[in-house]
Amino acid sequence: MGQAVEDTTAETAVPRARGSRTGPVVAAARIGIPLAFLAFLAAAPLMFVDSFLRTLSTVFMYVILAQAWNIIGGYAGYASFGNVVFFGLGGYTVAVLMTELRWPFWPALPVAAVVGAVYAAVIGLPVLRLRGHYFAVATLGVAEGTREIIINLPKLTGGGSGETIPAVGSLATTSYPGNAGFFYMFLALAVIATAVVWRVSRSRFGYALRSIHQDEEAAAAAGLNTTRTKVRAFMVSGALTALAGGIYAFQQVTIYPDRLFSVEITVLMVVMAVIGGAGTVIGPVIGAIGLEFLSEYLRQNVLEYHTLIFGAIIVAVILFLPQGIVSFSRDAWRRRRISLLENARRYSL
Amino acid sequence: MQRFLQATAYGLLQGGLFAIVAVGFSLVWGVTNIVNLAHGALVIIGAYVAWQLHSALGLDPTLGMLPAAAILFASGYVIQRGLVNRVVNAPIWMTLLVTFGLELLLVNLLLVGYTGNYRRIRTGWASRALDIGGVRLPYGRLAGFGFAILLTVLLVLFITRTRTGLAIRAAGMDRGMARSMGVNIRHVYAVTFGIAAALAGAAGSIVGMTSTFSPADAGHFTLQSFVIAVLGGLGNMWGALAGGLLVGVVESLGAQYVSGTLINAFAFGLLVLVLAIRPSGLLGRPFYEARVET
Repeated sequence: MGQAVEDTTAETAVPRARGSRTGPVVAAARIGIPLAFLAFLAAAPLMFVDSFLRTLSTVFMYVILAQAWNIIGGYAGYASFGNVVFFGLGGYTVAVLMTELRWPFWPALPVAAVVGAVYAAVIGLPVLRLRGHYFAVATLGVAEGTREIIINLPKLTGGGSGETIPAVGSLATTSYPGNAGFFYMFLALAVIATAVVWRVSRSRFGYALRSIHQDEEAAAAAGLNTTRTKVRAFMVSGALTALAGGIYAFQQVTIYPDRLFSVEITVLMVVMAVIGGAGTVIGPVIGAIGLEFLSEYLRQNVLEYHTLIFGAIIVAVILFLPQGIVSFSRDAWRRRRISLLENARRYSL
Repeated sequence: MQRFLQATAYGLLQGGLFAIVAVGFSLVWGVTNIVNLAHGALVIIGAYVAWQLHSALGLDPTLGMLPAAAILFASGYVIQRGLVNRVVNAPIWMTLLVTFGLELLLVNLLLVGYTGNYRRIRTGWASRALDIGGVRLPYGRLAGFGFAILLTVLLVLFITRTRTGLAIRAAGMDRGMARSMGVNIRHVYAVTFGIAAALAGAAGSIVGMTSTFSPADAGHFTLQSFVIAVLGGLGNMWGALAGGLLVGVVESLGAQYVSGTLINAFAFGLLVLVLAIRPSGLLGRPFYEARVET
């Protein structure tokens, strides 16, 4: 059961073959609009106040996280509920290298990506053998367990009371880049992450991941080394997430295990990818931008009820838009019909 | 030796409480294939119901357990019928997200209504203790442990000996077949969830009686239920009981002899290991061997 239904979501996520049924105008718009948008964003630090710039930085951080989750969760169909572990490890790698070994930021950041990828391979080999809930729960367990280990290494990581990166004064190894600096870092990495997903979506690797999503036995029978493919996807996801974590750690200066390994970060990246459209290139971007702005708006206007409303929104969106904004609007456009109620019945008992 | 005995006794008593929380979680997971991330929130709601009854009417939490369980059964039934049933067939991450959204909703409703302050139901007798050869056993914890074991046994009897229990097991084994035999799956799933919620509510009043609680504790109970349900095998009620006692004792001994929170790392490590090597749990075969769905 459930399998047949799941397949339809996977099917909607498969993009059309390159160049089919799209005219030159559409093609130009597809490239032109994002470029114009990027040019606009590149000028953002000149136009906006600092607080808004910080919000934008957070938005792009979540674009990175949602895209990274999208590779393993959206394309391969392995719903990782512990992706935050890479975020936390990336953050701690940068923090420990900069604080204990007095490295500058720039060499420390790539090390974070390597740590993320290696950790993904190490835990991926046993854990990616599991399916469904078991995989989700195992990754959650890995994230919680790793946090506890970090807390229990106080000499290296500062333990539960956190680690502070020397960011100003003579102790600083790299001068603090400020709001604009971090904005550009997150923006650049978000563009890279989206480009990676775009590249994956049209590559042989991407088709391998989709085939695993749809029917892993069939994929294996067709000669695909499913283990290697899954672990690779997990490594790419882990590396991207760790990079975001590394930048975040420097931005925050002082980091705590409870914040850097928070389950809520995992949930946010999953919700963003799913709301936008898991298994699509642009979906996680839309989801992250929409949800983070909404969250920020709620935080500023109804602080007390912020999380409460957020929970209600998550439930409502999953009920009425389970296939995500991108697939939903594509279907609605093709069939000239908007069918929210049909959606609500889709996965019903 | 004294320390060891005290820690073991305390762990066993605490483990009984964990078991009754986890047994409902495990039942829902085993039967409906839903991992209910809001389970811990239901426990805390139970604690607040008992607390409210105690402070408004002076009702002892051992009696407050009944209305708490009844209220949570009704809410659980409605939650499953109105919400979770609608995503039963969705990909796993969606069901996880729905229950997580529900958890956020419930916990924050509690925060708005009751603030985040730690509370405790103060009764005259619960904190007095029985002294056996220097080992202190508080009456509240003893009673809580007794109720936990009693309720688990009642649940097992209900599931194995009644018609409704039979329907629940059938629905867990093969939904399509149960349906074609005339089982109303929507209703049966809702009853299953309701039972789990009722047990959580009863557990909540024990929590309120034996220790302090606040809405922030919800996640802790959920995670513990995870570990116990996986250790014991999904839907395996005796497994959940044994797993709960085990986790209680290990945690208590760990807190006594190992530094800090390292024991949590060990628990999660064990969880991942068990999942990777023996997904059916430590205690033999899974309860629903003939399960058709994945």
